[in-house]
Amino acid sequence: MSAIKKRGGPLEGVRVVELTKVWAGPYTGKLLSYLGAEVIRVESLGSMDVTRTYGVEDINNAPGWKAVNPQKLSVQINMKSEEGLSRLKDLLATADVLVENLRPGAMERLGLGYEAVKAAKPDIIYVSMGMYGAEGPLAYQTGYAPCFAALGGLSALVGYEGEAPTGMNVRYADSTFGTAAAYAAVVALFHRGRTGVGQFIDVSAVETMSSMIGDALINYSLNGVVEQCNGNRRAEMAPHGVYPCAGGDWVAIAAHSEPAWQALAGLLGLAGDGRFATLADRKANEAELDKLLGEWSCSQEVTGLVEQLQAAGVAAAKSENSLDLIADGNLWAREFYPNVTDAQAGSRMTVGPSWKMTRMAEITDGAPALGEHNAYVYGEILGLSQDEQDELVNKGVCR
Amino acid sequence: MSALQGIRVLELAEQVSGEYCGKLLSDFGAEIIKIERPDGGSPTRYLGPVAEAGDDAERSGLFAYLNTNKHSVTLDLTSADGVQTLHKLLDKVDVVVADQRLDWLQAAGLEPEAVAARWPALVLCCITPFGLQETPAELAATDLTVFHSSGWGFHTPSAPDLSRPPLKGAGRFMASYEAALDAALCVVAALCERQTSQQGQLIDISMQAVLVTRTDYVMGQMVAGDMPVSDERTAFDLAGPAAIYATADGFVYIWMSAPAHWQALGTLLGNPEWMNDFPGDWLEKGCTPERVEVVRGHLATWLAGEEKAAISAAAQKLGLIMVPVNNAGDLQACEQFIYRQYFAEVEHPRLGKLVHPTVPYRMSETPASIHSPAPLLGQHTATTLAALAGGEQ
Repeated sequence: MSAIKKRGGPLEGVRVVELTKVWAGPYTGKLLSYLGAEVIRVESLGSMDVTRTYGVEDINNAPGWKAVNPQKLSVQINMKSEEGLSRLKDLLATADVLVENLRPGAMERLGLGYEAVKAAKPDIIYVSMGMYGAEGPLAYQTGYAPCFAALGGLSALVGYEGEAPTGMNVRYADSTFGTAAAYAAVVALFHRGRTGVGQFIDVSAVETMSSMIGDALINYSLNGVVEQCNGNRRAEMAPHGVYPCAGGDWVAIAAHSEPAWQALAGLLGLAGDGRFATLADRKANEAELDKLLGEWSCSQEVTGLVEQLQAAGVAAAKSENSLDLIADGNLWAREFYPNVTDAQAGSRMTVGPSWKMTRMAEITDGAPALGEHNAYVYGEILGLSQDEQDELVNKGVCR
Repeated sequence: MSALQGIRVLELAEQVSGEYCGKLLSDFGAEIIKIERPDGGSPTRYLGPVAEAGDDAERSGLFAYLNTNKHSVTLDLTSADGVQTLHKLLDKVDVVVADQRLDWLQAAGLEPEAVAARWPALVLCCITPFGLQETPAELAATDLTVFHSSGWGFHTPSAPDLSRPPLKGAGRFMASYEAALDAALCVVAALCERQTSQQGQLIDISMQAVLVTRTDYVMGQMVAGDMPVSDERTAFDLAGPAAIYATADGFVYIWMSAPAHWQALGTLLGNPEWMNDFPGDWLEKGCTPERVEVVRGHLATWLAGEEKAAISAAAQKLGLIMVPVNNAGDLQACEQFIYRQYFAEVEHPRLGKLVHPTVPYRMSETPASIHSPAPLLGQHTATTLAALAGGEQ
């Protein structure tokens, strides 16, 4: 019987090997794991993921690492040794999917380019993730998440009207990039299930960002319009914004239909006011409308205000801070923060999947310690005897 | 043959989330039957950008973008006949993608339990703002309000001016596009399982939850008690002078977090005197708000006289991470986008030739492709319903 328990889920039986760093590649692996795949992170002491070491003493108790790697396995393989690379190829020969987001050219230098891995596993699905993708004149460039968003055209659309763009919060981009890669990988798995044929997938972070603003890119194609950041405004609705409430809170309000505006106008005491009668009027006088709305909202307590607006049929929500997110009723109703257990610190809550499905994969395990699953990988998957595994330790392939 | 050829999807979508999910599937050859209301069709047909030229009703660039490769079938789902036809169509499809609320689904006889009982091999994917368990208090929702329910709004921008409101993100539909990605991922994963199990299933996507999962590096630490939770708008931020700065011809983004970046900046600027006031490792070991403010001031003054592409290239050569902040025009001219053929020309019967953004993944065996433009309203009603009546599989 396997040391690894069955968890169910649509991708049960799929094995994913990750040669990834930081957030985007690991997020791809996490999504596949949450869908039921067995995801094995290949790690080495000589090339440790920065999320295991950033600001912490204990590499097995690193908060950032734990946040992005629940329900994965870890095998330690020294990739600077021939023996290690050889065992890694043996592991890849048993894998369905390889996900990598190392620096451009790093996989080839390790002798793990697509052709080499394909020779070991002819139907491998090889997912290569790069800032600009694996090919092209700028593919050599690297950067961090906010660079993806800046290059992809997304940052330019975030900011206050008529001012320099601010871009999204600095954390944005890696996880979206990771999701695009996961989708492509699953499409390839479906194709392989039908045909037995694997493939090479080359995913670009910058293009993933462009895909999040596709309608703005179409506006340029269609009308030559280069859209700019516009605060919280939207052409089809007014008001459409975020307004102050008591205690430093903020409320997002959108008059998403004519009846919604009529209801809101009633609450604001603006019913029948000619300045705001039609959408065109409200757009023409939007600064004044926003000012009046802000004056009305700023002394009100946000929860009651949202209830009042929703009761009147107006789209409204509190702009949630991190305390709100942890207490959010809809998220709790979806069991969004599952408890997972890891070998180091015991039980902890983590961020679960966005989906509910009829046959979900179980999510019970926290992120692995470095090499926690060496025995499973070397012994059970690769079939090495205890003596042979001890020999690997002696040769410095693993601990 | 692309990956999803032969998979038939019924799309019950009237918003960007469901339509973009359908598009992600149709890019790989799935056959999408888009059900539209006879009186005008999908509301996205009336959303901008609308072609400035002409007066045809079929001028929405948004609809044209979101609905390539799809078939349009008009069906009046307020009538018993319409619902009956819908149910006959369900006998012939593999997947339903819906972005309607639960009450709408119920009215069409599509409660998830009923669907599972009558069509056990069907994959039913529902995308809603807060999930199928959502409470009536949240029934009115838009991308703006969902985005602000996710933490991304409150924490955007980084390093905010606290007197000004938090922001909605880029454009109009980030919440929808993000949710569609997770929905398409789950649909195809369910189809993978169905290859052996022969069973369909219900997929319930919460747009709010999708956006929160995208914060997992931060929220995963917060919910585990490893990072402070607070009502601060800076709770997701990283310290440092990384930001967007204006240049003579636009904007650049600079990332600086390591001593090597500081050193590269010095080389690029010819080691000006003001930099001597900073220890070489201040970015790692002494990143105070005061120092950040001084550096931001100097960077702003310097960059105001530079050009975004040239100065970014010079910085990159020295190891300073600086990139241009591209806009829609820059992207179409970008050599990397051209090389990778990210943009594709699609001929639309009313809009003419239109350049579309495509997909961020290049696949060696099953490339995504656009083979037909978005359908005119009801373009495929007669052929689809005739095929249904003829019993064609």
